[in-house]
Amino acid sequence: MQHTRFPISVLMAWREIRGSWRQFVFFLACLTVGVGAVVGIELFATNVETLILRDARSLLGGDLEIRAAHQLSESGRETLAALRDRNIDVTHVRELVAMAAVPSMEQAQTSNAQATQLVELKAVEELYPLYGRVELTSRQPLHPALASVESSCPARPCFSAVVQESLLISLGIQLHDHVKIGQAWFAVTGILVKEPDRVASAFSLGPRVLISRQALQATDLVKPGSRIRERYLLRVPESLALGPLRGELQGRLGPEGAGVSSYRDAQPRIRRFLDQLTIYLGLIGLTSLFVGGIGIACTIHGFMRHKLTTVAILKTLGADAGLLMRVYLFQSLFMGCLGSLGGMALGVGLQRLLPALLGELIPLAVTSHVTGLPLAKGLLVGVVTTLCFTIWPLLTIREIPPALVFRREVEQHHVPVRAGSWLRLAWNALLEIVRDRHRLGTALLTGGGLTVLAAWQARSLTLGALFLLAFGAAVVLLQVGAWALLHGLRKLPRPRSFVIRQALGNVQRPGNYTRGMAVAIGVGVMVIVTVALVKSSLLVALGERIPKDAPTFFFIDIQPDQREAFEEIVQREAHHSSYRLTPVVRARLKALDGNVVDPEEHKGKRNGWYFTREYALTALSVLPRDNVVVKGTWWTTDSEEMRKGDHENQEVPIRVSLEDEAAANLGVDLGSTIEFTVQGAAVSAVVESTRKVDWGSFSMNFFMILSPGALDGASMTYIASAKVEAEEEMPLQRALVRALPNVTAIKVGDVLANVARLLEQLAWAIQGIALLSMVSGAVVMTAALSSTRYRRLYESAILKAVGGTRRIVVESFAVEFALIGGLAGLIGVGLASALSWAILHFFLDLSWTFQPLVLGWGLLATVGLAVAVGLLSTFKILGEPPLAVLRQE
Amino acid sequence: MIRVENLTMQLRGGGHVVSILKGLSFEVPRKQMVSVVGPSGSGKSTLLGLLAGLDKPTAGSIKLNGREITTWTEHQLAHFRRQNIGYLFQSFHLIPTLTALENVMLPLELSSDGAAKARARDLLEAVGLQDREDHYPTQLSGGEQQRVAVARAFSCRPPILLADEPTGNLDSATGQLVIDLLLRLHRDQGSTLILVTHDPTLAEQTERIITLHDGTIVSDKLIRS
Repeated sequence: MQHTRFPISVLMAWREIRGSWRQFVFFLACLTVGVGAVVGIELFATNVETLILRDARSLLGGDLEIRAAHQLSESGRETLAALRDRNIDVTHVRELVAMAAVPSMEQAQTSNAQATQLVELKAVEELYPLYGRVELTSRQPLHPALASVESSCPARPCFSAVVQESLLISLGIQLHDHVKIGQAWFAVTGILVKEPDRVASAFSLGPRVLISRQALQATDLVKPGSRIRERYLLRVPESLALGPLRGELQGRLGPEGAGVSSYRDAQPRIRRFLDQLTIYLGLIGLTSLFVGGIGIACTIHGFMRHKLTTVAILKTLGADAGLLMRVYLFQSLFMGCLGSLGGMALGVGLQRLLPALLGELIPLAVTSHVTGLPLAKGLLVGVVTTLCFTIWPLLTIREIPPALVFRREVEQHHVPVRAGSWLRLAWNALLEIVRDRHRLGTALLTGGGLTVLAAWQARSLTLGALFLLAFGAAVVLLQVGAWALLHGLRKLPRPRSFVIRQALGNVQRPGNYTRGMAVAIGVGVMVIVTVALVKSSLLVALGERIPKDAPTFFFIDIQPDQREAFEEIVQREAHHSSYRLTPVVRARLKALDGNVVDPEEHKGKRNGWYFTREYALTALSVLPRDNVVVKGTWWTTDSEEMRKGDHENQEVPIRVSLEDEAAANLGVDLGSTIEFTVQGAAVSAVVESTRKVDWGSFSMNFFMILSPGALDGASMTYIASAKVEAEEEMPLQRALVRALPNVTAIKVGDVLANVARLLEQLAWAIQGIALLSMVSGAVVMTAALSSTRYRRLYESAILKAVGGTRRIVVESFAVEFALIGGLAGLIGVGLASALSWAILHFFLDLSWTFQPLVLGWGLLATVGLAVAVGLLSTFKILGEPPLAVLRQE
Repeated sequence: MIRVENLTMQLRGGGHVVSILKGLSFEVPRKQMVSVVGPSGSGKSTLLGLLAGLDKPTAGSIKLNGREITTWTEHQLAHFRRQNIGYLFQSFHLIPTLTALENVMLPLELSSDGAAKARARDLLEAVGLQDREDHYPTQLSGGEQQRVAVARAFSCRPPILLADEPTGNLDSATGQLVIDLLLRLHRDQGSTLILVTHDPTLAEQTERIITLHDGTIVSDKLIRS
């Protein structure tokens, strides 16, 4: 190596690295884990984004998609038919929720199988899918599977259906068995693996069933007022500009309540969901990097203590503080790059695990790809983190006097070893910062660097700053908590047991890094326990807050002529049930106070669904229970009579009562005019009141209720809610499917179970990432313990020399580590309780419940982890023969 | 020329103020070889450290070649030491992570000497360690370590060489070897040598003996010129 080519600082740094890399092992481990978390999540986010952009056409189903909640009018259908003249392929897809039933329970193969199952039915034409491929387990194409008709059908009409495997499981049937949907029979001819344009499987109401368009007709499920999603998928020749075509179609079909989307919008809703998910997971990843940062700072601090003499010698030889700062900074940066490279490798591994960790939350089949940008980000994040956490401890270089080489034993006050109470140290540090421009500059640089990192990860300065503040507050609170607990321990009477006395002494000894370890472990504990507490509270709320009289079922799409039959079946099959039937029509917003509502403007925006959704409108004379009028007045029977009287003389406007959140989000107030499109006709209503609705009651509730008589003459369907005894559920469902196959029964318990499952999955994903913070914490603890290795070695040698057994040493170490874990665990679960309370109270409007099991487990697991990590880090010491150690001393 | 006037050093230790040096004044002309003797705690090492600018005195003045160094900043002192001071310690104080050759090269590299390696090799040869240049300090005996330290102290041809008990950690035979080396290099390079020692035999080999006791000079004898 030709040394003279390099600046002396680089040369000296290289020699230092060569000579002292072992002392950086924990530095590397801390950085590797943190950068790994960031890179893994970033790679995953990039893969999702790439997938959405690459598969945008197949995810949408075409170049353009026209979506409506009802069948298009004659002129609308003509508009679409005319597109074929412009070489545009059009295919019609209809989606609805329906009930599938097995012909008889004898067919079911498993004992816990159901007789009926809610399914998401999708009827497609020959051209479907325009892009992508429908994959079946048999690898055969879709349409031959849909066209084949088996002769063994128990009844006619009989068609073929391709279904998700979960349907077979829930009904206890097999491939080639039969199910009844509506009035038609279907032989299951294929098992669906992948459907290109179905993305939000996590929130589905049931397994997918794919059938042909003709088969749908035969089911007789399509009736006026039925909830059907009509989709028209378009494949546009490249020669045609997509933008103008989309504008043209929106202009023609928009007034009918249809929305036109382009593949170029690339799934705004999913992207937003995944963006949010990856941002928050990314911030949890950043937590583990910052915890690792604490470890880095501890390592550098310990390293500088170790290097006091070397620095003093170098100063004696003429090296100034600036040069030495550069030397050790280069060394740290090199290690930072190395650790980041390790983190990049770990991140590549982690991104392969993430899809499994996120499970159903990700509606797409994300594959693992390694791209350059996330790796580069990892390197940069690692290097900036290294800088932020090393410059401050490196500043002590300036304070190491060269005179140390000959007067170390006399003058202790010059040696930059920190001691004293936490408050005094904090106060001194603050004074140092204000008085010393280098420290002030470093503090600003570190704060700025960390803010940039957090803002970059959060993709928002505000969120990033908030995250940093929260992290800083957690660290300070953990420090204060650890200090207070240690202070409290000192006040306790001296225990009689030698082992406990020794452990207590070690925990409180200056230079033991007890508080540092407690902070590093406590942060991870805090995050994991917070998630567990919030999740449990949500699950408790889901399970326990449901009132005893909440309905068991919701039934939708009951036709007016089926009302009596429905009531008769419910009364016959479920004697003890109570039920309620309400007439509804489906409507979309047309205008608010004369301003036309363009759903396109609100797509993908926060709370934009208030503008784009389809509303179920009903007209009621009595305010439903669980509703409280907060503004305006509810129409009373008297006032209705008066108005009816008036109505005979002059036209009285229809009035509407809005749910208060909806009113706030739509920007309307008392006196505003809302115009709806109901079955193609415009209906206008004036806001007369706003209501607070207790959605948690699970009763039948509405965002919008019109004044009585407002929907007279409209073609209505009924929805019903019913509370049914458990043993009557199955017979009721079977009887309804048999007699009224078009009526869909939604079981509240199933929906709640689905929500609970997703919640569990989300909590599991967050906790999985947060586990990396615990790993960082464990590494920090190992690093801190390794810095006290020689002291422990010496003490255990003396203990053994005076007759102490190895067992006593192990016990005293174990008790010490248990105390450290207990300290971290106690403060961690304490902070988690406070944090979860804040989240539940301020964001979820739920009350916090004391969950001793979660808190107890959090504490116990932390103690267990600390003891395990501690003993693993120190077990080598135990085997050292005392004479060898004492001779060296 | 070294001129020390009224040099006072007080330190805080254990909550008390300890006077280490109490108003010392003396001069050392160029190329003179001086030994400073006295019992432990008399302030010998502190005096040497102050002469090297490793610490600031409580009061008094130190002029090296007419330049007052007590008012200089840490940065100025460091740069001054690079070019002008060679320092030899009782406990060698080699950098443990550097090889023998790199230890000797270090002051040269700090002074941006382009021929650092060649000069360091020559010096290692001069102290008889040419075949040990790639050894780390822990792989060398105490005598060898001190010879490397001697080579390092002379590497920049400093006009002033300060040696603090250079043989204190060595047996007498090895100590004499190091002293011979020190005296030879001092003669060859013509530097001013101030040597702190407990050893009267070693002190007798220098030109002048300053005796310290309890922070004051109790005798200053020129024994040869």
